[in-house]
Amino acid sequence: MAGPGDEHDPSLDDKKEAEAKSQVCVGVGEKDMSPSSSVPGTSPIHRSGSRPQLDLSKAEIQGNLEERDPTILLPNQSDDISHLALDIGGSLIKLLYFSRHEDYSNDDDKRKRTIKERLGITNGNLRSYPVLGGRLHFVKFETNKINECLDFIHSKQLHRRDPYPWSSRTLPLGTGVIKVTGGGAYKFADLFKERLGVSIEKEDEMHCLVSGANFLLKAIRHEAFTHMEGEKEFVQIDPNDLYPYLLVNVGSGVSIIKVDGEGKFERVSGTNVGGGTYWGLGRLLTKCKSFDELLELSQKGDNSAIDMLVGDIYGGMDYSKIGLSASTIASSFGKAISENKELDDYRPEDISLSLLRMISYNIGQISYLNALRFGLKRIFFGGFFIRGHAYTMDTISFAVHFWSKGEMQAMFLRHEGFLGALGAFMSYEKHGLDDLMSHQLVERFPMGAPYTGGNIHGPPLGDLNEKISWMEKFVRRGTEITAPVPMTPSKTTGLGGFEVPSSRGSALRSDASALNVGVLHLVPTLEVFPLLADPKTYEPNTIDLSDQGEREYWLKVLSEHLPDLVDTAVASEGGTEDAKRRGDAFARAFSAHLARLMEEPAAYGKLGLANLLELREECLREFQFVDAYRSIKQRENEASLAVLPDLLEELDSMSEEARLLTLIEGVLAANIFDWGSRACVDLYHKGTIIEIYRMSRNKMQRPWRIDDFDAFKERMLGSGGKQPHRHKRALLFVDNSGADVILGMLPLAREFIRRGTEVVLVANSLPALNDVTAMELPDIVAGAAKHCDILRRAAEMGGLLVDAMVNPGDGSKKDLTSAPLMVVENGCGSPCIDLRQVSSELAAAAKDADLVVLEGMGRALHTNFNAQFKCEALKLAMVKNQRLAEKLIKGNIYDCVCRYEPPSL
Amino acid sequence: MDPPTQISHLALDIGGTLVKLVYFSSNGSEEESRNGCCSVVKGRLCFAKFETRKIDDCLEFIRFNILQHSGVQHQNGAVHDYLSVKATGGGAFKFADLFKEKLGILFDKQDEMHSLVGGVNFLLKTVPREAFTYLDGQKEFVEIDHNDLYPYLLVNIGSGVSMIKVDGDGKYERISGTSLGGGTFLGLGKLLTKCKSFDELLELSHHGNNRVIDMLVGDIYGGTDYSKIGLSSTAIASSFGKAISDGKELEDYQPEDVARSLLRMISNNIGQIAYLNALRFGLKRIFFGGFFIRGLEYTMDTISVAVHFWSRGEAKAMFLRHEGFLGALGAFTSYETRSNNDSKPQHHTVQRAILNCSGDDSFRHIPVTSNLNDSETIECSISLV
Repeated sequence: MAGPGDEHDPSLDDKKEAEAKSQVCVGVGEKDMSPSSSVPGTSPIHRSGSRPQLDLSKAEIQGNLEERDPTILLPNQSDDISHLALDIGGSLIKLLYFSRHEDYSNDDDKRKRTIKERLGITNGNLRSYPVLGGRLHFVKFETNKINECLDFIHSKQLHRRDPYPWSSRTLPLGTGVIKVTGGGAYKFADLFKERLGVSIEKEDEMHCLVSGANFLLKAIRHEAFTHMEGEKEFVQIDPNDLYPYLLVNVGSGVSIIKVDGEGKFERVSGTNVGGGTYWGLGRLLTKCKSFDELLELSQKGDNSAIDMLVGDIYGGMDYSKIGLSASTIASSFGKAISENKELDDYRPEDISLSLLRMISYNIGQISYLNALRFGLKRIFFGGFFIRGHAYTMDTISFAVHFWSKGEMQAMFLRHEGFLGALGAFMSYEKHGLDDLMSHQLVERFPMGAPYTGGNIHGPPLGDLNEKISWMEKFVRRGTEITAPVPMTPSKTTGLGGFEVPSSRGSALRSDASALNVGVLHLVPTLEVFPLLADPKTYEPNTIDLSDQGEREYWLKVLSEHLPDLVDTAVASEGGTEDAKRRGDAFARAFSAHLARLMEEPAAYGKLGLANLLELREECLREFQFVDAYRSIKQRENEASLAVLPDLLEELDSMSEEARLLTLIEGVLAANIFDWGSRACVDLYHKGTIIEIYRMSRNKMQRPWRIDDFDAFKERMLGSGGKQPHRHKRALLFVDNSGADVILGMLPLAREFIRRGTEVVLVANSLPALNDVTAMELPDIVAGAAKHCDILRRAAEMGGLLVDAMVNPGDGSKKDLTSAPLMVVENGCGSPCIDLRQVSSELAAAAKDADLVVLEGMGRALHTNFNAQFKCEALKLAMVKNQRLAEKLIKGNIYDCVCRYEPPSL
Repeated sequence: MDPPTQISHLALDIGGTLVKLVYFSSNGSEEESRNGCCSVVKGRLCFAKFETRKIDDCLEFIRFNILQHSGVQHQNGAVHDYLSVKATGGGAFKFADLFKEKLGILFDKQDEMHSLVGGVNFLLKTVPREAFTYLDGQKEFVEIDHNDLYPYLLVNIGSGVSMIKVDGDGKYERISGTSLGGGTFLGLGKLLTKCKSFDELLELSHHGNNRVIDMLVGDIYGGTDYSKIGLSSTAIASSFGKAISDGKELEDYQPEDVARSLLRMISNNIGQIAYLNALRFGLKRIFFGGFFIRGLEYTMDTISVAVHFWSRGEAKAMFLRHEGFLGALGAFTSYETRSNNDSKPQHHTVQRAILNCSGDDSFRHIPVTSNLNDSETIECSISLV
């Protein structure tokens, strides 16, 4: 058989081989190695338990065998592991695939490993992370366009992956197996075999549904939401208090499932009056051609034209004695009895609405009765009938609320369309997904097909170029602008400025409450920051964006800042045509996000300012602007390093007390160098860095708006001749590059080091605005160390200076008097930080820390202003936004915050 | 104005679809009761019904069959005396003016639910062989122990459905209901089949096959059962679900099949919700009444199957021979004994009732009609104060 799509293209085989050649390096402690695994050709090791395992065959130690933690090469480990699972329903195909992080960093970095060692992170930790990091992509296709789906799978080569990536089995070509659930698993099995050469393994629908729902509810924060009277509200589910619950899947028919735990469920009820009834009867009665058309009709309907209401029977009066209002439906379609009207005399809109209400109420009622029967408080509704349709959700919610007298809540799931596909995905052995915790998942919202919440318009986008073209096409639709988006043409871009796409466009969405489903990043190395006083109640965001005024304001701020950002981003890549084109696409994409959020605040789930700022950074990265502020950061770092020696000299000449104040003033003053703040960008044109810095510092008149300096000073210097104990380890969360970190935080770090406190500088893993990254910090520290012995010794101790590295174990220690200065990445790429999701490095570093210093607006004000820690905390920031100043501290722009908090009990 | 004259032998239940009448027709014999304080009149309770939209037929019927015999006469429709008649149902409000104007009848409005429960309690306590089960074509009368009647669930299927937990005489609570009822059957049925009447639609459903339009479990699972969750291949997975995928229009379906699917959908749903409510309150007996059932075997069968299926045989659906007249009967029994000394025979209590089955034990369909002869009657005696 050599039909179309047959797999004998030699180039494809080459590609496969090339992939197999690229190797994944995984550091594994020597003693953990199975002796046989280092011998080439030995049989694969035994797989046991539910944990996935790496293919250790032909593993060998790379490099120097004398090293403590040699890297082991696993040549048989495919580097771009993908799983694929499908749920093929009657109208939609839901596809889920997994891809490895491209930027999966190996541990072949001496500097990093030294820090890890210093922090007591052993590579043995890897064992607790059975899942390799990667991304879960959610894609939808219409079932009648199944060829698009097959093409997509083919183009991504998803079917070529070994579905059991960690198993040692190698499947001969053409014998691949993919997990599929839904009726189409039967119907299209032959087609898959023929087109892709893969076999379909059918998974039980109910089982898939339940495991999909369990996974979502446990692993994704704010997955569930209620929907009453058009208002969405996200519900935080405690993963430890999830069971039992009732899962109501409204497909053609309705299944009502009681879920008691992982794999423990029972179909307790159901009804034959379901989505099929709505669509079937609807088709017969209205001649609608599609389910969506029928739903759309219902939005313009008036059910009182056909339904017999209580008021119709009681002459407009309520039957209040039994709690029935005049508008309660007494009999669905009951009015059609007595009137001498034909089907054609009724508006299809009214018929559709009557049907929708009849079926939704009935489902809500039967679900409620079943929940009652088993004493369940939570009912989750899913299935194709719901599909994020606002009115349907409202009707069901109303029914549950009505019958339970408010005791129960109908809840819906953001990923509800993908329950089955997720479950099928989970059914692969050894995926390790069920071990994931919510803090290990990060959802991102890239442009492209998933942009509209998995609604489909055209084939999914393959590469960046397609994406950019799509953005350009998208704009040409000339949709109406409804949100505060930049109107001024960009100065640098060449494609006609920002005509901004809007979420009103018909191409963007078909329903007012469609929820966006992003790409789920699985980052098994993320952890909850261990010093949080109470991770359960911790809320990173200070400002509640569900408040409309706040939301509008911040969306506007972001959109006003956009042209500058695009200029900077394009300039950072030399202003090439390619960069301009990508810049335009980025601007369009991000404006579209903003416009959408303006209209539908809950489109992306529960969003705080932190998420919004991160969305922007992600959007930049999506259009391959890896570091828009690269050149600015470099320039400012150089300028600041140049004046650092003078500053340090000045500081050293001061008394201890004066020095401490000057240091804190310095941190606050230097925090003015912030490219994220419009007000500050304007300042930069007015002078040199040191001038601005000194001017700013001189303005630091105490008392500051929030001023706990005295308490902090007492803690540092003691009072009444009492010498306080020094801090063991301080975690300094740094903010901006340039003066902020070099003239502000570094001198403060130096002060701690002088006092014998270990200092860990915590910086972003990925660039965000002009924030300094963990990658950049060692060079900055090295630059500073050239002129300062204290910093040099500390940096050497901390392993930051590779060339002159002192190995703590080798006995050739020179100046052992210094506490180390270390750098760890925080695991994120946003100007803010959500301390529920930090790098394992940071989590490890936090274990011995007794002081947390958060600096800058993003990390100390926008987020974490109200965060409570188990250890002492110092929050330092200059407020560079008038509204925030008023809102947060009842002050003015450029006011300062110096908040010192003892450990929270 | 004089106080209205009461006539004690008529009560109405005016629903959204049908008007139900109960009236007493005496044999003419009157006996002194044992203690002599009242007289006992022997006669029959008669039943009649009309479509609500043909309310004028009902007015005519009352004028010629009841008012004439009651000795209350109006001259040329001119109303001199108003008569007070117990009436229940939504129409008691809606048509109050009409009855007053056309017949000189003032409605003494009775609460609908109260009447319903009163009617059922009356039937279950006084009429032998009133309740029966119906399963697989087998009708079986159930003897109800009067002392062990309560609590039970009463499901009244009119245009809509009310579910009432009955704990005793006058002790009841409407605990649930559904808008998918008889009105839905007829309403949707009319739109889908162009049937003109309930009976026509019911008749059609007899000859239909629901598998043509309903999506069965077997349709989804390729003809096999989904036995893992206890669903047989012939179980309906989705009512009207097949209409989704077929390229067929409404005209391409047989009205019989449509009617059948509709009937099963609604009966099944009512049976399920009723069972869930019975379960909730631990009630073992569920009585179904109301005009939707009207003694139709297939309807009763479907409801019984639903209750049997969902309760795994634990609960039984029961039906009442006079199911359509529960409200009217309740209104009728609500004429209370009062101790005033009005000369008119206006109060009664039904002491004893014998069901007149016309010597025929097979259950007959009761068509919508104004024809008195087709209704069953209950022989009874009434004690007059």
